Amino acid sequence: MASRVSLKTKGKGKGGKVSKGSDEKSAAQRLKEWSTWAMKKAKVVTHYGFIPLVIIIGMNSEPKPHLYQLLSPV
Amino acid sequence: MAGIVPPATTAVPADVSHTAHTKHDEKTDYMNLPCPIPYEELHREALMSLKPETFEGLRFDFSKGLNQKFSLSHSVIMGPTEIPSQSAETIKIPTAHYEFGANFIDPNLMLIGRVLTDGRLNARVKGDLTDNLTVKANAQLTNEPHMSHGMFNFDYKGKDFRSQFQMGNGALFGANYIQSVTPHLSLGGEVFWAGQHRKSGIGYAARYETDKMVATGQVANTGIVALSYVQKVSDKVSLATDFMYNYLSRDVTASVGYDYILRQCRLRGKIDSNGCTTSYLEERLNMGLNFILSAEIDHMKKDYKFGFGLTVG
Repeated sequence: MASRVSLKTKGKGKGGKVSKGSDEKSAAQRLKEWSTWAMKKAKVVTHYGFIPLVIIIGMNSEPKPHLYQLLSPV
Repeated sequence: MAGIVPPATTAVPADVSHTAHTKHDEKTDYMNLPCPIPYEELHREALMSLKPETFEGLRFDFSKGLNQKFSLSHSVIMGPTEIPSQSAETIKIPTAHYEFGANFIDPNLMLIGRVLTDGRLNARVKGDLTDNLTVKANAQLTNEPHMSHGMFNFDYKGKDFRSQFQMGNGALFGANYIQSVTPHLSLGGEVFWAGQHRKSGIGYAARYETDKMVATGQVANTGIVALSYVQKVSDKVSLATDFMYNYLSRDVTASVGYDYILRQCRLRGKIDSNGCTTSYLEERLNMGLNFILSAEIDHMKKDYKFGFGLTVG
């Protein structure tokens, strides 16, 4: 959401004036912003998805355990 | 003539010359040195004997294997946990957690995940990309912002050396290298750079081990000098001692401990120069059923921690 808003304002600004200086600055800044955004998404994905990933990989390994074995205490 | 005389003269010293020859071989075979242990496990024996995982309160662990490779674990921990405080007293808050864990352990891939009731996730991944290259990742993720940590390690294992490159969050970079110099001695060094705190450091380490003892030493430019010595007195008994000195902050700690590995139990105890004694007992009641008692008494800080637990599976 925040990134979408900033892109819109940048578009409006670029339409107004031609500025080479802000382009150079935003290349490195854009990389940093994208990498921060990617790390944040990766953190959320890992936080919610790591344990289900281990369970899926484990349930598909040989010999395949049954689904009830996952929940029963025996 | 040449055939008669040499056997007579070489019959008796043959044994001596044979052992001298093999010892000579062992001494000079520098091309066939064993691979050293990883740099972070340098103090492994001393750590295992002197720093058992003491806890306070109740701990119940239940581990269920679904498969040779896949297992689930359930843990309940109830007890006071310390929170860091500005004043000299320790502040403890009673907490209770349930922790669910899933482990997948394969020769090439290892995935271990643990999640607590407050949403904290502890994840460890280890994968073998090739015979010599291993990737490891370690993460502690929380729901609070800016409190999560992650670290990636790339390990390369050579014939008689190991090297590792680490990358962590907060622009933390590190590299270390350890090499076997003789069959008993290995030397290594490490460098690290912490971007967030603008600190860098370099350290050196050495490890000398034989069948009966292990001696390690580590120095770093952050001011830490750590020495340890472990003597294996017999199959069942090991004694260990540890010395840590910070030459910048003039802080010294020395500890002496023992480790008894008996048939039905494992008992570890240590005493510290800070007036702290620790003891940890794991008793095997039955196949797969272990009873744990842990005690840590700190006379200087007047902090007394006692814990008991049961481990199933």
